[in-house]
Amino acid sequence: MKIDHSQPLEYSTGQNNLNIFGFWIFLGAEIMLFATLFTTFFTLEHRTGNGPTGAEIFEITPVLIETILLLTSSFVIGLGIHAMRLGNKKAMITFFSITLLLGLGFLGFEIFEFVHYVHIGAGLQTSAFTASLLTTLGTHGAHVTFGLFWGLSIILQVKKRGLTPETANKSFIFSLYWHFLDVVWIFIFSFIYLKGMM
Amino acid sequence: MKQLFPAKQVMGFVFSLILTAIALAVYFLDVSFTAGLTILIVTAFVQALLQLIVFMHAGETKDKWSIYGNVYFMIFIALITIFGTLFLFSWDM
Repeated sequence: MKIDHSQPLEYSTGQNNLNIFGFWIFLGAEIMLFATLFTTFFTLEHRTGNGPTGAEIFEITPVLIETILLLTSSFVIGLGIHAMRLGNKKAMITFFSITLLLGLGFLGFEIFEFVHYVHIGAGLQTSAFTASLLTTLGTHGAHVTFGLFWGLSIILQVKKRGLTPETANKSFIFSLYWHFLDVVWIFIFSFIYLKGMM
Repeated sequence: MKQLFPAKQVMGFVFSLILTAIALAVYFLDVSFTAGLTILIVTAFVQALLQLIVFMHAGETKDKWSIYGNVYFMIFIALITIFGTLFLFSWDM
């Protein structure tokens, strides 16, 4: 395989370039997936039936903590990719581990939030509003959960095989996925929570 | 140690925290719905672009226009889907 040493490892082969571009195409499809969920939510958010409205059930503190956790994790994985480009495997693994811990913290808060919603009578079947809310949040949360397992596998593989064009490529693609989840959260935070509490 | 924290990414992080704080103004301050929504649209999209360029390294390689083209096209389709549906179902036009 032809290796271009003027490029960072993750871009060093033709295959790697195509893998990264292919993942961008996938992220394009993910944008569309979340767009349909947002569409449903915006259409149904006032159809609350006998259930509560957004303003009644949203709480700013846990939402803000979730936002800070995910925002920080997105920054930390960026540092991980930077360390990878410097060839510093140890720092990279440390940053990736911190990223996943922050992601786990985010997930913990989100699960707590879901239990709380069900507890106060805002479950999946309460109204069109709660159904579209929990489906949108849940799809994002499921992506984060999947990302935790994916990230863990990446860390183990980098530990075992070191930084090669293949492992660097996989790590970079995982970082794209993680940043994308943060972008989606920014929109959830702004247009579901803050707009709902305004 | 210092080289592990590149200025560009630290600045990006600080900037995204500032944008989050600005967005929070719609909750803590008394703003009208239109003004609040305008603030949210600006802060959310600026923050998304920040992630795309600073953290996702979208503009670094030869295929940057394929990457940007793909992303902008999907955002365009996403907005058509969202606003097209709202036109029909919510705003009754």
